[in-house]
Amino acid sequence: MSPSLARKLPLVLAAIVALALPLVLRSPTYLHILILLYLYAYLTTSWNLVGGFAGVLPLGHATFVGIGAYTSTILSLQYGISPWIGMLVGAVLASIVGVIIGLPTFKMRGAYFALATIAFAEGIRVMTENIDTLGPFQINGPRGLQIPPLTTGFASFMFATKEPYYYIILAMLAGVLALTWFISRSKLGYYLVAGGEEPEAAQALGVNVARAKLIAMAMSSFLTAFAGTFWAQFTLYIHPKSVMSLDISFEIAFIALIGGRGSIAGPVLGALLLRPVGDFSRIYFGDTVPGLHLIIFGVVLILVMFFQPRGLQEPLTRIYTRVVDRLAGVREAA
Amino acid sequence: MLFVIEDTINGILMGSIYGLAALGLTLIFGVLKVINFAHGSLLMVGMYVAYWAVALTGLHPYVALLIVVPVMFLFGYLLQDIIIKPIFKAEKDVREPITVIIVTTGLWYILDNLSLLVFGPQYRNLQDNPLRGKMLEFGDMMISVPKLWGFCAAVACTAAIHIFLQKTRMGRAVRATSLDRDAASLQGINQYKIYNIAFGIGTAVAGVAGVALVPFYNVFPSVGVLFDIKCFIIVVLGGLGSIGGALLGGMIVGVIESVGPQFMAATWTEAIVYGLFLVFLFLKPSGLFGVKYDW
Repeated sequence: MSPSLARKLPLVLAAIVALALPLVLRSPTYLHILILLYLYAYLTTSWNLVGGFAGVLPLGHATFVGIGAYTSTILSLQYGISPWIGMLVGAVLASIVGVIIGLPTFKMRGAYFALATIAFAEGIRVMTENIDTLGPFQINGPRGLQIPPLTTGFASFMFATKEPYYYIILAMLAGVLALTWFISRSKLGYYLVAGGEEPEAAQALGVNVARAKLIAMAMSSFLTAFAGTFWAQFTLYIHPKSVMSLDISFEIAFIALIGGRGSIAGPVLGALLLRPVGDFSRIYFGDTVPGLHLIIFGVVLILVMFFQPRGLQEPLTRIYTRVVDRLAGVREAA
Repeated sequence: MLFVIEDTINGILMGSIYGLAALGLTLIFGVLKVINFAHGSLLMVGMYVAYWAVALTGLHPYVALLIVVPVMFLFGYLLQDIIIKPIFKAEKDVREPITVIIVTTGLWYILDNLSLLVFGPQYRNLQDNPLRGKMLEFGDMMISVPKLWGFCAAVACTAAIHIFLQKTRMGRAVRATSLDRDAASLQGINQYKIYNIAFGIGTAVAGVAGVALVPFYNVFPSVGVLFDIKCFIIVVLGGLGSIGGALLGGMIVGVIESVGPQFMAATWTEAIVYGLFLVFLFLKPSGLFGVKYDW
């Protein structure tokens, strides 16, 4: 067996396990935790297109989650349009907003960019909280929107059990990972990495860094909005603090940074490590030690920045290839 | 009309306390070139130290300064020395080390939730302190006394830091490090010690802001978050790294927040502040008094 094939085999196995898991795991609690894990892996992978490859630190991605959630929900509540179509409309809207935010902010350096994206996201959240109706659309300000679970089924994107949600988010995650893989090997991917590391040098070589970053931002916000619609249909209730809060933006960034930004495996690894820690410490220590999971997040973040500033995917991939090669009987390439 | 004047005055007073809170942030940025995301949490720690110093000993709230300032200076000094310095050293040649920003975000989460763990989620306030609800009356206008003292503290702190930076030997070393850390090192300045001191002073100033707030403000674990983003906005308005700019930026935000509700729903003022922030960021990112090359 060739080494590259041996290295891919466990990934195929992992995919099969992920597909078969709901057949074994019947507990709705665990499925819920897994769905949120995939959702955050998805969000972080989408974030990674800008935050990872383009080398900036956006801290306002919750805006796009909110735009996706609100657009599809308003369209389905007030016009009876299927959330699947609303999902696309929301994504287009989000990528327009993403480009509007990106145009002026990408000129800024590190910290200024992070602050500007925070200000945008918080500004949009505050406005949403203050607006009851926007033209013909009912937004309901801080009260949010409730989706009455009337008709279940695929067309209405509403299900009585967790399994369909599980497979939908799994498919979304697989799709966004494949897209990231494709982009990282495309011209655009190289432009982004080059522009993120040495903008002046890349520009001197004729790379239009600003344009590459804008395309990445448009794609990232487009994909992030999908997750917003999923979130709305999964929880059936959205309000500005739930889908647009700064906490979401920060958690996405945390997962990416701990897992390893700018890599394909990083966001998934980060979500695999952090989400269960968060969920289980909330379940078991939530009432005795409130906020424990956030302390753990903070400590892990600092330790990772200390010892592995490029994220945990680097040592983990190294170990992974070594173990797989050993198992497959491949000698390390001399 | 009288309302507007009264609100403007109270806005300036409250805003100067915002400015006092942001002063430490701008000082730390000026020297380390790092936006300290944990600054609101440092303010929260300062408020808790002040609260307990008063609640346990029954001192006058402002006498607590004698305890708060040294404690907070030491806290900031050690925080920088133990946690931030090693990461700084690893990224020596980066001018604006992004990993340090991330580490301060981690600190923010740790500090806020540790205080939730230790002190619990309840809102605490100094029930029977002599300053609570005290007002000065000028005809029909009412001006809050603790806010007035906060204003005095803000002006005094700004002046003190300005004098420290301009007139003392240590201040000169701080300014030199801020301009060019490598050149400063070549002149025999221990840059890491300067960072520790700058961080210590920044934290101590956050402590002073905490003391100014405690007589009339609730103390709770996430109080820092309320000030965190406000502080970012203020320092960008005033110019990152500018000492006087922080005070002025704070007053601008304070006036918008207190006069705005006369003309619109109070919650809209927040959106206006964010809008103003973005306008500044795009048109004049160096702020009112910032230096161009810091952008």
